[in-house]
Amino acid sequence: MSDQVATAAKPAPILSRHDPRYEVTMYRYVGVEGAHTLDFYRSHGGYEAARKALTSMTPAQVIDEVKASGLRGRGGAGFPTGVKWSFMAPPDGKPRYLVCNADESEPGSFKDRYIMEDDPHQLVEGMIIGAYAMQMTFGFLYVRGEYYLGTTRMEAAIAEARAAGLLGKNILGSDFSFDITVHRGAGAYICGEETALMNSLEGLRANPRLKPPFPAAAGMYGRPTTINNVTSLTSSVHIINRGAAWFASMGTDDSKGTKLYQISGPVARTGVYEMPMGATFRELIYDFAGGPTMEPKAFIPGGSSTPMFPWEDRFLDMPMDYGTLAKNGSMLGTGGVIVIPRDKCIVDALYNLVRFYAHESCGKCTPCREGVGHWLPRMYQKLVSGLGRPEDVALLESVASNIKGNAFCPLADACIGPVQASLKWFRDEYEYLAANGKSKYAKNDWWQA
Amino acid sequence: MKVRVNDVELDLAPGTSAIDAVFAAGGDVPYFCSQEYMSPIGACRMCLAQVGAPRKERDGSWVMDEATGQPKIFWFPNLMATCTTQVMEGMVIDTLSERVKTAQNGMVEFTLINHPLDCPVCDKGGACELQDRSYEFGDGLSRFQFDKRHNEKHHPLSDLITLDRERCIQCKRCVRYFEEVPGDEVLDFIERTAHTYIGTADPGLPSNFTGNIADICPVGALLDASSRFRGRNWEYDHTRTTSMDDATGAAIIVDARTGRIERIKAALNPDVNKTWIDDGTRFGHEYADSPDRLTTPLIRRQGKLEPATWDEATAFIAERLKGLSGKDVGIAIRSDSTLEEGVAAMALAEELGTGQLDHAPRPAATLIGNQVATITDLATADAILVVGDLTEEAGVLDLRVKDALKGVTPPTLMPHGVPIADLRLKEHMPRQREILTVAAPYRVDLMRHAGATVRYPAGGEAAFFRALGKLAADANALLGEADEAAAGMSTGQARALVARLAAAKRGVIVLGGLALNRRESAEAARALVKAVGAKELAVGPMANSYGLELLGVLPSHERYGYAGMLDGAKALVLSHLDPAQDGEVAERLRGKDLLVVHDIFMTETAHLADVVLPAASVYERDGTVVNLEGRFLPVRAAPVDAGSSTDLTGVARALGEAMGKRLEGRSVRSARRVLKKRFDIDFAELPDHGLLPRAKSRGPVKALAGEVAAGTGNVLVVPSMARAEYLSRNRHLAAAVGGNRLRVNPEDAVKHNLTGGAEVRLKVGGTWRQAVVHVTDGVPRGLMTIPSLPEQPVGLAQADLAGIVVEQVRLEVAS
Repeated sequence: MSDQVATAAKPAPILSRHDPRYEVTMYRYVGVEGAHTLDFYRSHGGYEAARKALTSMTPAQVIDEVKASGLRGRGGAGFPTGVKWSFMAPPDGKPRYLVCNADESEPGSFKDRYIMEDDPHQLVEGMIIGAYAMQMTFGFLYVRGEYYLGTTRMEAAIAEARAAGLLGKNILGSDFSFDITVHRGAGAYICGEETALMNSLEGLRANPRLKPPFPAAAGMYGRPTTINNVTSLTSSVHIINRGAAWFASMGTDDSKGTKLYQISGPVARTGVYEMPMGATFRELIYDFAGGPTMEPKAFIPGGSSTPMFPWEDRFLDMPMDYGTLAKNGSMLGTGGVIVIPRDKCIVDALYNLVRFYAHESCGKCTPCREGVGHWLPRMYQKLVSGLGRPEDVALLESVASNIKGNAFCPLADACIGPVQASLKWFRDEYEYLAANGKSKYAKNDWWQA
Repeated sequence: MKVRVNDVELDLAPGTSAIDAVFAAGGDVPYFCSQEYMSPIGACRMCLAQVGAPRKERDGSWVMDEATGQPKIFWFPNLMATCTTQVMEGMVIDTLSERVKTAQNGMVEFTLINHPLDCPVCDKGGACELQDRSYEFGDGLSRFQFDKRHNEKHHPLSDLITLDRERCIQCKRCVRYFEEVPGDEVLDFIERTAHTYIGTADPGLPSNFTGNIADICPVGALLDASSRFRGRNWEYDHTRTTSMDDATGAAIIVDARTGRIERIKAALNPDVNKTWIDDGTRFGHEYADSPDRLTTPLIRRQGKLEPATWDEATAFIAERLKGLSGKDVGIAIRSDSTLEEGVAAMALAEELGTGQLDHAPRPAATLIGNQVATITDLATADAILVVGDLTEEAGVLDLRVKDALKGVTPPTLMPHGVPIADLRLKEHMPRQREILTVAAPYRVDLMRHAGATVRYPAGGEAAFFRALGKLAADANALLGEADEAAAGMSTGQARALVARLAAAKRGVIVLGGLALNRRESAEAARALVKAVGAKELAVGPMANSYGLELLGVLPSHERYGYAGMLDGAKALVLSHLDPAQDGEVAERLRGKDLLVVHDIFMTETAHLADVVLPAASVYERDGTVVNLEGRFLPVRAAPVDAGSSTDLTGVARALGEAMGKRLEGRSVRSARRVLKKRFDIDFAELPDHGLLPRAKSRGPVKALAGEVAAGTGNVLVVPSMARAEYLSRNRHLAAAVGGNRLRVNPEDAVKHNLTGGAEVRLKVGGTWRQAVVHVTDGVPRGLMTIPSLPEQPVGLAQADLAGIVVEQVRLEVAS
């Protein structure tokens, strides 16, 4: 498939996500009426991967299969999932937990939502497979608080699965027992950070914890814990079903399989598209999403916390995989691409973003609480309201560099990355605004609407 | 392991944090969130440094740097918070580079943007970590042009602690302290991002250990409400001394200004209290500055007590003593007198030739057992049985028991003192509750932390220990139904407890006053200690109970003890004792030929006295105390203005002069000459942390016992962190603990028509006690509890419940 990506210089536009060019796995039944029921899921081959794993594979074989597939964590950091699973100490008879991180709060990311709403059993199955592989005794599904439909669908699916003997004692007749509790978050972005998520689940304040100890050593309630993203787990369903070789046959050298890319901003067809790793931004933006509807000047490659790229061919033709983006000073993140139109003042756009991070900083560490939470948004406010002075741009840069890399958890860097990238590519807009008191491009209501 | 800090090579133990490496190397990095004896969290980001380490090849050899021939140093890409970084073999830490300085300066700038910088009116000014670090690591300028966050400036977290929310820099020390040290999770952050502030869910800080947060607050956000706006830090005289509030001997610093004690802070004694003290110790000093302190001697002339000089008073006493046979005189000192005062009392008794000498209160059993545990033994124990209410009786021990539950041994001291960041400590550590069993006749606070709890019927200590002793002798023994009821536990529970104590390598049994004040229970307890091979820690009633017993301030015969001399002696010299609170005793005192009272207030007894001598409070004495583990600790006088008051050595000097004698113990120095002969310790050079002599250097123990507590009664006199005798003069503490609490079961409250919050008077034994009714299911039906007095030690007492006088009814706010 990767060959196909490389050779498809001018592919014909893809008009539907059922376009046969790429095979859709995780999103196959998303948007299909009634797909969230157990009957539908089972009649479409559901729970066969779990059956295969539980009845014909040892836990170590499952981990090896996932390792061999080359699956990397889909939550953003891209840590190899199989390796992460293998970090768990052998079972000692005491509780150990699988936590599914469905606190999908990154602006620009909305892939997990539709799985939970339309294909919840796929996630239940993924959790069963992951839990079996690591011999977990209990699972928690931490769902973003705003995902009300997703929560109810997941709860219903778990109840259905439990009634059908797919959860609970001796699943599918094996001697493996496992159950899942759904927990709804209360609307904090920081809960997507795995240690803060664990604190939140334990009923504590959602502050990130010190690592080490890593969750695999001491996580929830001090017990070994593994936290996986929704689509890492659902990917494992298809890996078990169709084999690691199938999964590894897609993608690039360091990034295997398919991934759910999301696109938002002024494009014709915003949405979630499943593509093999290594597809290019151009493919996603033009072929799948139908191209920009306003003249673009930049795009954010992987969710709001990844540094943006200007709208240039060298970036648009970049394959969307972990390594290439890291090499170019950004990150694949969750794969949430956001297109930024030319007529939108970049300072105003960043103000919007910075306010988000200022609102979501947990308050634990000084640079994030005071810098991201208090100082940066005020500096942007000053600039955007036309009260800035030329020296403010340098000050902004200096404050940003004081925060960068010095905070406790990645949240502050997630804010500073985009700020620094915007300064790198669009410094002229900052300087124009600071010098003239008004933006080079009109402030655009569309962004804030 | 070898570590290089800037240019200093160090060899450190594995597990050391990088910040301790920096300090051990004589370097410095700023820090606000790290705190000795608490978990490092890396929140303030002040201690950033550039850290690198060599890497190993797959074959285990170092990756070499070709240019230098040394192992190549791989620098971490980001600056590291040294408090949360563990040292590695070959690690290199750089705290001096431009990059580090820029980052530290940046952090100072961030910390200050929302800090009000009201240093000129801040109580912390001059002793503020933020102030010091801003001068050292900031550049003195702020580039922040916007409004600072505004918030509450005077938020009363409790009656003892006032919070200035603007000054708070969110270091989380206080929040972590409550969870990690006393285990009372009463404080947390509220809101997030720059709006974060600390607060409580309900008003108040329900914990006995709240004052410590004022010590550890790196800024002036958390302040001791009793000393707020009383003085600037550079105006205080700081006196490092030992607390005389309870038997633990906690290290404190007394801050006095213009002859008044303004505040007490905890000091460091790694073997005793670490850096923590309870609120009774910290806030229970206000009485010493009370305006009704006695400042001159008083002599009774024509039936009235009139001021006199010391010469007149001692001449008067000497004159009256002449007419008495020496053995008619009784001398009793309170058990928080220093060893030096004990020497003075003994010298006086010897001079007069009387055997009627005692210290009171004194438990029925000796405090000096055969297997006395140290406090460190308790903190590292693998099985603990506590009998009594340790939280109230000896707060420091309560905290050290909680150390044992964490299973982390006390840290090894480093060149710079206690490690700043002990990486073994974590937030929300799992506690090994199963090692702790707490037994008491009513619900005590430590039970919340115990794996097993026993509530035996009041007065049932002996039955409790006998039941355990029976199972220790024979694991298959069965307790009868009556035995089980009397011991408050089933055979199975008792067997499990005995098995745990017997299996433990470092078992400690802590005996509170309830167990010690009756001879039979103390004997049964010591039999158990022996049977299970544990060590014991006996909590004496007062600060120097152990020392005065060790010194031998004891009667020559049981009937000459304190109770006996109140009856039999014709003349009495009483230091800090107020037996006349009991009406019957007062009647007997009226018949004495001579009554000399040495005290700080006009007590009931002083009103009956022929001569009243003004005494030094516990904060105004130089001397030595011995805490419950047998540790000799120095007591130093704070500069308090209390007229011509003096301690007992001063009385011995003045009285000796009047009698034409130079008594031993006529001064602290003279008393120490006696003590040196006795204990072979140079008391003038006693280190701050005290001295725990090996067992063989202890002198012979003259153990004398008399029954202190009654075996039956309807009120249980219980230990209290806030000393009942001074509570009315300790305004802040009284408000915080809600007065002397008469704790009543809800059913009994209905029966006796008592409502919560009512101020009542009741006769306990022969003493009228003032109390505030507190209705709680923590005490069993048919039992009330009331705080102890020196003259009314813990144990059962008979109260006249039908005669309770309700003086004022008040609505009690639910807590």
